[in-house]
Amino acid sequence: MVSINTVMIILLYGATFSGILALISSGFTLIFGVSRILNFAHGAFFMMGAYIGIYFVQQLNLDPILSSLISIILVGIFSIAAYITIIYPVIKNEVMTIIVTLALALLIEQVILLTYGEFGLSYPRLVAGTLTIGDVVIPMVRLTILAISILTILGLWIFIDRTRIGKEINAASQDPEGAILIGLNVNKIYAITIFVSAVLAALSGILYSQMYAANPFQILNSLILAFSIVILGGLGSVKGSIISSFIVGFIYIAVTTLIGARWSEFIALAIIIVILIVKPTGLFGVEE
Amino acid sequence: MTESEKQVSRRDFLKLAAAAGVAFVVGAGAGYYAGSQKKPEVITKTVPGTPPTSPTPPPTSPTPTKSEVVIGVIAPMATKQGMVQRNAAELAIREINEAGGVLGMPVRLVWGDTKLNPDVAVSEFRRLVTVEKADFMTGGFSSGIMNAMMEPMAELKIPFLADASSPGHPAKVHEEYDKYKYWFRITQNNGATFAWDLADMFDMLDEKGYDVSHIYIIRDEHIWTDAVMSYLQPELDKRGITVAKDVKVGRGYTEYEPLLVEANDMGIQVVVPILAIAGTGDVLAKQWANLKLRLLLAGHDLAALDLGFYEATGGAAEGYIFLADGGVVNTAPPTDMCKQFIQNYTAQYGHPPEAHQGFGAYDAVYLFKKVVEMAHDDGVENPFDPDVVVQYLEKFNPDNPINLTRTIAFYPPGDKNKFDHDLVWGDNYVRNWISQWQNGKQYVIRGKIKNADMIEPPWF
Amino acid sequence: MSKLRKYWNIDIGQLSYLIGFLLVMGVLPIFLPDTLLYILGLTFIFIVFAVSWDFMTGLVGEVNLGHTIFIGVGGYVTALLNVPTRFKNTFLDILTNIPPPPIPITILLGGVIAAITGILIGLITLRLRGWYFALVTAILPLLFIKATYVLKDIFGGEEGFSVGLSKALAPDTIGKYIITLLFMAASILILYGIKNSKLGLTLIAIREDNTLAEALGINIYLYKVFAMGISSFFAGVSGALLVHYRVTISPDLFDVPLMLLIILAVVIGGLGTLIGPIIGGFLIYLLKYWVLKVYLIPYIPTTIPINDDIILYILLIIIAVLMPHGIYERLKRFYMAM
Repeated sequence: MVSINTVMIILLYGATFSGILALISSGFTLIFGVSRILNFAHGAFFMMGAYIGIYFVQQLNLDPILSSLISIILVGIFSIAAYITIIYPVIKNEVMTIIVTLALALLIEQVILLTYGEFGLSYPRLVAGTLTIGDVVIPMVRLTILAISILTILGLWIFIDRTRIGKEINAASQDPEGAILIGLNVNKIYAITIFVSAVLAALSGILYSQMYAANPFQILNSLILAFSIVILGGLGSVKGSIISSFIVGFIYIAVTTLIGARWSEFIALAIIIVILIVKPTGLFGVEE
Repeated sequence: MTESEKQVSRRDFLKLAAAAGVAFVVGAGAGYYAGSQKKPEVITKTVPGTPPTSPTPPPTSPTPTKSEVVIGVIAPMATKQGMVQRNAAELAIREINEAGGVLGMPVRLVWGDTKLNPDVAVSEFRRLVTVEKADFMTGGFSSGIMNAMMEPMAELKIPFLADASSPGHPAKVHEEYDKYKYWFRITQNNGATFAWDLADMFDMLDEKGYDVSHIYIIRDEHIWTDAVMSYLQPELDKRGITVAKDVKVGRGYTEYEPLLVEANDMGIQVVVPILAIAGTGDVLAKQWANLKLRLLLAGHDLAALDLGFYEATGGAAEGYIFLADGGVVNTAPPTDMCKQFIQNYTAQYGHPPEAHQGFGAYDAVYLFKKVVEMAHDDGVENPFDPDVVVQYLEKFNPDNPINLTRTIAFYPPGDKNKFDHDLVWGDNYVRNWISQWQNGKQYVIRGKIKNADMIEPPWF
Repeated sequence: MSKLRKYWNIDIGQLSYLIGFLLVMGVLPIFLPDTLLYILGLTFIFIVFAVSWDFMTGLVGEVNLGHTIFIGVGGYVTALLNVPTRFKNTFLDILTNIPPPPIPITILLGGVIAAITGILIGLITLRLRGWYFALVTAILPLLFIKATYVLKDIFGGEEGFSVGLSKALAPDTIGKYIITLLFMAASILILYGIKNSKLGLTLIAIREDNTLAEALGINIYLYKVFAMGISSFFAGVSGALLVHYRVTISPDLFDVPLMLLIILAVVIGGLGTLIGPIIGGFLIYLLKYWVLKVYLIPYIPTTIPINDDIILYILLIIIAVLMPHGIYERLKRFYMAM
């Protein structure tokens, strides 16, 4: 018999876990949807956000919030630099785009491993304490992170839907050649998109290491998680990614509490593969 | 490009292929012939005491050509566990050389990096033995890599004082003694002995008035924890302890909060981590300290052993009770030699040994020196002969331990638990001491070398 | 006509390089120490990993990030057939008493099962073009690794298990070396043959122009699935061979680092060129496991965060950006310009 408490745990912890997933995967989907770049370095931007922030807090004794902001901007700038130097030259070549971004991700992973080691590192908490909802205790930091995730995703939606640059991005994503014809600078749009996507990644990295810990292995782990979510949601659909983040997040926590932690990844992956067999384009994807 | 390929007709291709085949077979045949011709030469060139490369070696005999002793360290050098072994062996070798070497010969260190990959580990192992002519090997880390390295060890017949935690390794010595007898475990981390120390930990908590009647276990989804559980269960039965829930987690698992909340709901007081592979003990400690539930965290966690653990968790580790496998906590050296080693190591490298494997590697070098000298004193013709080394290492049995940085003795062949060539466990030998993080330092809180009392987590 | 001859020369040239390479490798054991031969043997197996991956990714143009699945499946099939006692007291207990067939048969079976796995995965994932295949194959190896943990009584979990020295490919290193060299040569020749056959040409046509190929009535989907079967067959056989080479099996055969090394080798050598991956595989494997390790890394102070992986990844990015067709095409162009 599943108790009310268990249900509450699944709902509360599932929602907060899903929020982080949505942040990670929406950035990955955004850059793909706009530019058709499969950015395998997304997970690296994610962890860079955490490690750079930790560096500023620990080495320069800066305030955690200020450090986070600096870190997010630095990762954004880094992503543009990476776009110009290594992605742009091979952008026409699907295979090479995957390979250079993957190589960049692994390069960053190795540098982190050599400088910070294999064990996790904690990001100083922005919020402390716990809250009791019903009978279930939940750390404040989780709820804060859920709130930040929701606000950020709303912000992203307003940016794309309401701002001029957002509309240009939207236009470029739907018809790159048409966008060039009406005089849009597609290259600039791609650079801005990768900046936004990297900023989302860095932010989610910082939030992630608040809740869990920064760890070099998360570069590939988060990437695989993002892949699963994006496949489930449909490639290129930001809406699909956000919805499937919540599906995966709830499945994960439900399996952890009801069946056992060791099964959570296995079952989440298996469900995604089954869905893929039934509907190969994912829940919201369209056939190319 | 496509056009070009169309031009090659099938027949021509086959012709070329056939030509290539013939040429190749000739070449390969020549190579193999030459290679097999070469073999005896390889053997005569072999430095005495070094296992020859052929699987059926003739008996080695000492010749006056031996002018140095070579000790190989093999470990993953990108990890603390690997670096500490290399550093510790280097330190021991320097000390030995300054004191006149082994049997008057200088000692040289050679090292290889396993990269935690079995193929790399095996080829590095072979390189150290056959090219660098190592007389003896130490190192290891990670059971799977050790499994792979035990094969070249058996083939090349080289004494190997190793570090790894699977009970499967001594079981191999037990089952195929002649083949695997060159293997000894120099660190106290046979997963099974954790069970005995955990049981003692529960006794301690019980004595202090905590409710250990029900425990909540969070453990690696890995063979080594199965071994711990199979030895732990009888101990729990003896004490009337029930495992309320046994949760297995995979590598990189991070969602401990729902588990801790659940444990608390079940009225549990003691959560028992048995973690190494998960690699996320820091997340567990952090989430535990953040939730501030009335739960003790007491078990075995490889991450908690790390000297940087307290800082990495932002102090969340305060009050975390864990087993210090390997037998030494820096604040509580069990022997004088150990105290000296920690001092020298800190002077040399700027920090105390960063992982317990360092004590093993340091002892391994001294132990090798010791047995070679013992054999020499007994008038053995070739004290470097691998079989002689094994025979003399076996002399350090429970009745005849040797004091190095820890008190070392090996279980003799034919052990009832299949712990052949494993370190003897016990208060008077090496234990996985029950320890705790207190104010940023690790202290031993029970047993012969206890140097602090147990404290409660700050929020209790 | 002159154009024709030029192409002819290139192809004959390619083969003669190959013959030369094999001849040199064939006589090497006279000069090299045992341990280097051991690494060379591993390199030969690795080259087949690389060439078979290139068959799918370079020739067909589908980025397969899960090639290690087939290497691992081949490996576990032969390992389990040779050590059927692993099945004892599991739900597959019935398999315990199957007498192990001769090793060449079990290695071949490893390839067959890997090919079946590849075809099944291909049937599901190749229905859609482009990115889905890369993403799905990227996450699949994880599922296989998880399976070895969940069913650890059979697969040995993270530690894997040993097939025993008596099941080694050959009793000594030279024997192993020769067998792997022969195996590599045979695999390359067969794949070369397929590449130049009607099937290979069709696959290249599909890569170059999907729409045109479709218009010509080619069933792109089935051709790709077939190519996947071939690619995974060779991966499976070579994975199985590796198990008998090193005598142990563990989930590292499924894991990401091996996949990355394959990508590194093929991209640096030259995608889709067949000769490129041979050069790349040879260079990268020896560079990583011998040259950098012995001659470079020990001399870098530990304070500088550089290791062999970092050097190789930087090399990969530079080559991918500056010469996306790889070293081989660059050398060839240089040679023709002379």
